[in-house]
Amino acid sequence: MAIQITLHKTHRQYTGGKESVEVEGKTVGECLKDLIRQYPPLGKEVFGKNGKLSGIVEVYLNGATAYPDELAKPVKDGDKIQLVYFLAGG
Amino acid sequence: MLTADEWQRYDRQILIKEIGEEGQEKLKRAKVLVAGAGGLGSPICLYLAAAGIGMIRIVDHDTIDLSNLNRQILHGTADIGLPKVDSAKDKLALLNAAVKIEAISVAITEDNINRLIKGCDLMVDALDNLPTRYILNKAAIEKGLPFFHGAVRGLEGRAMTIIPGQTPCLRCMYHGDAPKEKFPVIGVTPAVIGSIQATEVIKYLVGMGDLLTGRLLIYDGMSMEFREFKVSKNPQCEHCGEKGKRS
Repeated sequence: MAIQITLHKTHRQYTGGKESVEVEGKTVGECLKDLIRQYPPLGKEVFGKNGKLSGIVEVYLNGATAYPDELAKPVKDGDKIQLVYFLAGG
Repeated sequence: MLTADEWQRYDRQILIKEIGEEGQEKLKRAKVLVAGAGGLGSPICLYLAAAGIGMIRIVDHDTIDLSNLNRQILHGTADIGLPKVDSAKDKLALLNAAVKIEAISVAITEDNINRLIKGCDLMVDALDNLPTRYILNKAAIEKGLPFFHGAVRGLEGRAMTIIPGQTPCLRCMYHGDAPKEKFPVIGVTPAVIGSIQATEVIKYLVGMGDLLTGRLLIYDGMSMEFREFKVSKNPQCEHCGEKGKRS
């Protein structure tokens, strides 16, 4: 059983409309890298130029915030990672 | 003490046992700052005024444009070119003249925020950008004022309530800035989120129910779903964490 990443609808254009993708990894960061290995155009959406998590993407692990150091957070089979796009309008 | 007119006007909400006469008097005594008189600010101000909040201070530096009118329901075609706060004050006076409206047409900055919130019991986020939200969030933490967050884009929106000293704050979660864009939105989205924010304000002031604290509520109008994420305090938060306390 792998780890499931659920994508925000803004990002689904890069996965052919798929809402969730199965990935492998021991940390949130490794899982995101596996996601990008499968769908390379997502790289610029998820990570900034400095290789850190983009400031306009939020990562939740099993329905909860995963900070600080989200990318280093360990994961296990069956965990669910949610990528959420930032909103700022009013 | 409620007047005879107030008993009649607020009769249906006084019937809510958690509100009652005592809750209505709390609403009457309340002083609320609404930052923004646009898409979110419109339903927030309308429902707070209708509920009988004593004073609403509305802050917005913008004027009304035709392209605002699909969502900013405090304003109409005849108001184009007017300051949003002036139009808001006129409309709210028609709805409930007993509510004191303070209309302040300035941009919120780090320099004026303390003056703007002076005398208010809480702040409501009806802004359209993150940097100004950060200014409000920081002031909320420093002054110990509850802060009611909301944001929208397209058919999606979110809301969270922040009680300084007790709950995670906006800066715990948000770090960057959103890309500069003419963000897509339809009026029903800020109507949903602004109504949730106004509900939270009323609950807080009356002291009833469970607040949306430590929980980010996300609304997706496209799939018509509400989801919740559990939000924790970030020990590295620049505003409410150890890092914030040192600065």
